[in-house]
Amino acid sequence: MTDSFSPVIEFRSVTKSYGTTPVIRGIDLSVAQGEVVVVCGPSGSGKSTLIRLVNRLESLTSGDILIDGHSTASYRGAALQRLRTGIGFVFQQFNLYGHLTAAENIALAPRKVLGLSAEEALSRARELLKRVGLSDKEASYPSQLSGGQQQRVAIARALAMQPKILLFDEPTSALDPEMIGEVLTVIRQLAETGITMLVVTHEMGFAREIADRVIFIDGGVILEDAPPEQFFLATRHPRAQRFLRQLLSPLHTTGD
Amino acid sequence: MGFSVDFAGVLSGAPLHWLLTGFLTTIVVTIAASLVASLLAVILLGLRISESRAARVGAAGLIELFRNTPFLVQMMFWYFAAFGLLPTGIRDWINAEHSWATFPGNIPLVSPEFIASTWGLGIFSAVFIAEEIRAGLLALPKGQSEAAQSQGFGHWASLRFILLPQALTNSFQSVVGQYLNLMKLSSLATAIGLAEITYQVRQIESYNSHAIEAFAVGTSLYLLLGLAMGRLMLAFAPKRRDGRNETGAGNAA
Repeated sequence: MTDSFSPVIEFRSVTKSYGTTPVIRGIDLSVAQGEVVVVCGPSGSGKSTLIRLVNRLESLTSGDILIDGHSTASYRGAALQRLRTGIGFVFQQFNLYGHLTAAENIALAPRKVLGLSAEEALSRARELLKRVGLSDKEASYPSQLSGGQQQRVAIARALAMQPKILLFDEPTSALDPEMIGEVLTVIRQLAETGITMLVVTHEMGFAREIADRVIFIDGGVILEDAPPEQFFLATRHPRAQRFLRQLLSPLHTTGD
Repeated sequence: MGFSVDFAGVLSGAPLHWLLTGFLTTIVVTIAASLVASLLAVILLGLRISESRAARVGAAGLIELFRNTPFLVQMMFWYFAAFGLLPTGIRDWINAEHSWATFPGNIPLVSPEFIASTWGLGIFSAVFIAEEIRAGLLALPKGQSEAAQSQGFGHWASLRFILLPQALTNSFQSVVGQYLNLMKLSSLATAIGLAEITYQVRQIESYNSHAIEAFAVGTSLYLLLGLAMGRLMLAFAPKRRDGRNETGAGNAA
């Protein structure tokens, strides 16, 4: 997948601080067209911040992020809105619009931001609901859906803008265990379509299966950037080793 | 004590006529001031949540001013002070006879008393309504605006299509409460001589000393109006979609 390496996302010396507290301390990272990059790391490591910087839900403190080769650091207002239109974001807490049905949630932005007609937007919404296996939930409000169903609608909502890039911020962390599978299945299918994806997740088995590369981040820097086989079987960095051990046996928290 | 209740002294002849025109005046000033309040609330809210810092600070200042000073003082200010600052031509026009703007029952709609009451009640209520709706916006999870942002909605579009519809549902009961307050506060307009219910009740009291009966009837008229307004507005209450229970007030109506 990385043979013709043209970066779709390129971090250049990116930093982010909240006040005087640095969260991201100088990250350089390139993601190629169609690549699926899994970002993992302990809580507080800055991994959510990293992907929220891509569509500027967080502002950059310094550095630049190139999307399709275009510098975005100076984007404001309308330019920023256009940038976001092409980048789908899936939240940990789903964040479906509470006053709209599943179909309306998906159709709203295509109508109001992209300017599609109501019928076009609705038929797009129906197609996407079918794709995530929720055709029968078209008229349901978010409060009537399970967590797994809400997250699948949220993924459909992100896809409705036909983005080139999809960002996932711990998409299964707020789900009951029995619902994780249905959401991962949908994401796995997307990974195969060639859309560029950055996925923050703690699901290591899933990461191993879908990732082209795994990024391990701690303290706001990238400590490891490796293909999944290498990361999971022969990670070099001691912090990454400890992180993986803790995920595999959570009770064994002390290092050696 | 030798006291006996006699409603005939209130519900017949001139007192009855006064009460009816008072009742009508209260209704008309409530409707007019509610329209003014709604319009001003939209403007104030728009400024208060705009992206311009100057607009936000200006609106916040106005809101604090009108929220933290007594309504009676504000009403007197508009009537005795602000009205005097108007150009003479406009004042003369307002003071003149306007048969076209006289509501049945000889209620003048273009008079210093009616205009000052409408404006005073309108702006006082508007700041509370704007703040109730803003509280409804603040109560929304941050994820709602982030989701809208991430889809490319701008500031006003996300308010219009995503945030305000939910905020209005959240704040609907409190907003209805503010319109009911407006109706009740109109009784203070008696202080600047607007001939509404309370004014007429006091007139009856000094005319034939039927204070108990007059106040009983006046209070009943407010109660009647309040219940009717509450029911009417709750009929338009937006339906909650977030799975939370509707509050008791909705069921009580």
